[in-house]
Amino acid sequence: MQIQPILAALRQHKAGTVLIALQIALTLAIVCNALFIIHQRVTHLSEPTGIDEANLFVIGNQWADQSSAQQVDAQMQADLATLRQLPAVRDATASNSYPLVGGGWDDFITMTPDQVQKTTDASVYFGDTHFLDTLGLKLIAGRNFRPDEVAPMSPHEVVTPPVVIVTRALADKLYPDGSALGKSFYAMSATPTTIIGIVARLQRSEVDTWSRPYAYQALIWPRRLDGTVGTNYIVRAKPGQLEAAMREAKQGLIAQNRMRIIDPKDGVLSFAQVRHRAYDSDRGTAILMGIICAVLLVITGAGIIGLTSFWVGQRRKQIGIRRALGATQRDILHYFQTENLLIAGAGVALGAILAVGLNLWMMKQLAMDRMSLLYVLAGVVVLLLLGQGAVFAPALRASRVSPVEATRTV
Amino acid sequence: MLKMTHLSKVYRTEVVETYALRDFNIDVKEGEFVAVMGPSGSGKTTFLTIAGLLESFTGGEYLLDGADVSGLGDNARSKIRNEKIGFVFQSFNLIPDLNVHDNVEVPLRYRGMKSAERQQRIKESLERVGLASRMKHYPAELSGGQQQRVAIARALAGSPRLLLADEPTGNLDTQMARGVMELLEEIHREGATIVMVTHDPELAARAQRSVHIIDGQAVDIAEEPRFHAQPRRVEVAAEGGAG
Ligand SMILES: Nc1ncnc2c1ncn2[C@@H]1O[C@H](COP(=O)(O)OP(=O)(O)OP(=O)(O)O)[C@@H](O)[C@H]1O
Ligand SMILES: [Mg+2]
Repeated sequence: MQIQPILAALRQHKAGTVLIALQIALTLAIVCNALFIIHQRVTHLSEPTGIDEANLFVIGNQWADQSSAQQVDAQMQADLATLRQLPAVRDATASNSYPLVGGGWDDFITMTPDQVQKTTDASVYFGDTHFLDTLGLKLIAGRNFRPDEVAPMSPHEVVTPPVVIVTRALADKLYPDGSALGKSFYAMSATPTTIIGIVARLQRSEVDTWSRPYAYQALIWPRRLDGTVGTNYIVRAKPGQLEAAMREAKQGLIAQNRMRIIDPKDGVLSFAQVRHRAYDSDRGTAILMGIICAVLLVITGAGIIGLTSFWVGQRRKQIGIRRALGATQRDILHYFQTENLLIAGAGVALGAILAVGLNLWMMKQLAMDRMSLLYVLAGVVVLLLLGQGAVFAPALRASRVSPVEATRTV
Repeated sequence: MLKMTHLSKVYRTEVVETYALRDFNIDVKEGEFVAVMGPSGSGKTTFLTIAGLLESFTGGEYLLDGADVSGLGDNARSKIRNEKIGFVFQSFNLIPDLNVHDNVEVPLRYRGMKSAERQQRIKESLERVGLASRMKHYPAELSGGQQQRVAIARALAGSPRLLLADEPTGNLDTQMARGVMELLEEIHREGATIVMVTHDPELAARAQRSVHIIDGQAVDIAEEPRFHAQPRRVEVAAEGGAG
């Protein structure tokens, strides 16, 4: 109703107005992006990996002496035999990595040997015939590896094994019509590999943002990795016997051969711990972002309260004059509310642009996803409400200024 | 127009009670020009703030335009201030953030007047005080006399029936004071009721009637019904008194 004179008066208070509007703009830009990141981080915290997480644990095993690749391979076979015989253990396998461990191998997949652009990406696991059973993977098509297909392999070997088991996500990516079984592809080599089995779900080993589009694209090579630099044993306990199995496994391995190092702190980890560690940074980021948002909102709210209170104090006399000239208490209340709406409106308009800009920048620099405009909309609503909430108390105080203030000589 | 009987106003603080007005009686008729004089602290401003519904009173009766105002709520009082009463203060009381035009517009907006009529009235009342060319100026860019004339224009724009002025010339030099006084006389001739507090006996002499407030009580001392007949002489006297 009286926007024009409010704007006119604000022109006389440029510094405060611009500062608060900028503060609102920055808060909006940061808060919507932060909320977006929080939401992204927390949604995949609970996504299932596709393995039997409740009963799995992993052992990080280093060797205390230098041995040849053949000696280490033999030792690993002996270790696995020991583990599989433990009363609380159902099965065990050795692999280069496992889901959520945080890093691992990644192959570019092509459909022809001379293709320049990759068709897609897949996380690489090495496994023997026990791999599927140990991880609790559900084979939905084809078969498991045969013992004769599993061979030792050095990390520098570039020959692609002739057979492979893939996840459904990868199979569907390569052969969207569902005909993947028995078909082949190329994984950075001149010779093709044939899909002999498809498992329902197996998450990749890393959880970084870049890999999220390929989160469930993984393949299993029938290979025993050269374990001279150390290896991971993945062990599946019998249902409900995880703790016993973890204890037995460590003792069993040491009894089998003492020349090994299993870190007392995190050498043996239940999968629950692995998951916790994997998403540690995500959780930390989410909490940090949440705190930043809260702090920013509090600071902005406090800034609005502070500035409005200051203005109310500064304008007591003119409020009195307005009251003397016929303003009702409601008129005065509305004056400050409208004033705040105008400042906050300018702030959120600028902030919305900044928010999108910040998101675009992060998409480029940090491979972030595109933020839905709903976050901006939510942020705009939150900040406008924050402004109105913050301005209410000082505005109410202003409305209670007596008209007699007009007669007081300052 | 304005009738107070046995009115009292007590300011209470934790330690003392101050009777700013006690058993205060005054009757200002429609169309009168009353000058209010009295020593400092005697209750002149208090009387004006109560008369202008800026403040409530403690006891007694106040009839404004024949109606008892003691029971009115805040909104009703605001409406009366807005429509019936114009204020002119010693310290001008323009809103520093607003230019001359916007200052004069303030009471009109609170009245909910349409823009076209507002512009018309702003122009008229500023022309009347001779400041139509200063619409875009801010109060700080005007002299004291000009500011007071803007304040009068603002009071006039709403065509109030009652104009309350608290030492309107108190902060002005003689020449500017005379200009303001002439303006008030002109407004009075057009029919408004004016109550003006002043310390200046020369100015008071130009009103139809002077009321002295002493210790919170009104003492009527003079009636000058022939004022209109001899404006020139009074004016000369005022000038001579100051010079
Ligand atoms: N808000 C207040 N609280 C307490 N006492 C007050 C208040 N306002 C006025 N008074 C007291 O009431 C009495 C009358 O004050 P008022 O301002 O009406 O005097 P005045 O006649 O206008 O004086 P001056 O000529 O100096 O303007 C004084 O004693 C003053 O101290
Ligand atoms: Mg006074």
